Amino acid sequence: MRQKIFLAVIGIFLDLAVVVGNGLAANDTLHDSIYNPGHLKPVDSSLNVAVGEPAPDFSLPSVAGREVTLSQYRGKKKVVLSFVPAAWTPVCSDQWPGYNISRKYFEEHNAILLGITVDNIPTLHAWVRQMGSLWFDVLSDFWPHGRVADAYGVLRSDGTAERALFFIDAEGVIRDIVVSDINVRPPLEEVVAKLAAMP
Amino acid sequence: MKYIVLYLVLVVSLFLPFFVPAAEKAAMPMPLPELVLEVPENPRHKEYLGLTGKTGTDFSIRDIDADILVIELFSMYCPYCQKEAPAVNELFAKMREISKNGPVVKIIGLGVANSQFEVDHFRDTYEIAFPLFADEDKTMFRALAGEGTPTFIGCRLKDGERPVIVLRQNGGFASSATFLHELIDKGGPQ
Repeated sequence: MRQKIFLAVIGIFLDLAVVVGNGLAANDTLHDSIYNPGHLKPVDSSLNVAVGEPAPDFSLPSVAGREVTLSQYRGKKKVVLSFVPAAWTPVCSDQWPGYNISRKYFEEHNAILLGITVDNIPTLHAWVRQMGSLWFDVLSDFWPHGRVADAYGVLRSDGTAERALFFIDAEGVIRDIVVSDINVRPPLEEVVAKLAAMP
Repeated sequence: MKYIVLYLVLVVSLFLPFFVPAAEKAAMPMPLPELVLEVPENPRHKEYLGLTGKTGTDFSIRDIDADILVIELFSMYCPYCQKEAPAVNELFAKMREISKNGPVVKIIGLGVANSQFEVDHFRDTYEIAFPLFADEDKTMFRALAGEGTPTFIGCRLKDGERPVIVLRQNGGFASSATFLHELIDKGGPQ
């Protein structure tokens, strides 16, 4: 009888341990999944495009499973390209969640946002899911690796991209470029001001 | 007899991890560092904080008219802060209710590495009624030994002595009612 009680107690405590362990693991996932690369060289590339020039066209796969082509928006929408260096890194992991609650600023100016990294789709899928549900397309410039980033001149020597914004008008012309210090997030008011300044 | 010993070993080993945080909590309260903010422009916020100074002039966080103050460290960009915002609004409503007949419990938010524009955007997006301040250079975040966002720091202000931190919650809280209960338990008259 005592042996049965003993086994029952072990069973209860093991169940408790599993439940508590799972809870702690979930918290660990939220807080510890971001890789910190430390302080990086602020800018490590040279632009291949300039304000006033046509934006190089491209087609890239999106996390949503479709192919997105820049020129499909020509004559319809202004486009903001947001290159970020890499998934699962500190500044990048909150820049887009910030834009995710800033949709109204883009819509006020008839603009859409395209997020681009050089990560592959499975990585981006996991990363974007962790951010929640994004209203804008997230595109993978993984293969050929960084071809679009390189076309714009924001591919760094280590294969990541710069933290860069390109403001493209509805005619497909680049109206503004912001290549930020990779370690710093560009303030939202700067994005909003540049959206408002686009013709 | 050997079963009793085994029971005890099992119980102690399984619950040992929970005794460590409890010991850390027992080490509180810690002094609240001196933090200086600017008197807000919004008259409702001024009244809520019990401030009489001119808009834009400095005030010490210790001058806020409350028995217990919660400082929320947040960022407009932090997806967890965004997700937590409705629960924090719920907490604020419960604080107002309980303050009518109990200890006066108030809350302010500090936007870590956020500009004033970003703080205002966060406030407008989630219809936050309590005062939010920008901590653009993270001075206050560092002074409060912040580790991430969101973080909730409970302080006892009306202690008759130096204000103290009585509670620190890293990450969101599961229930606003439970959090408020714990806050009053730790921050109320000792």
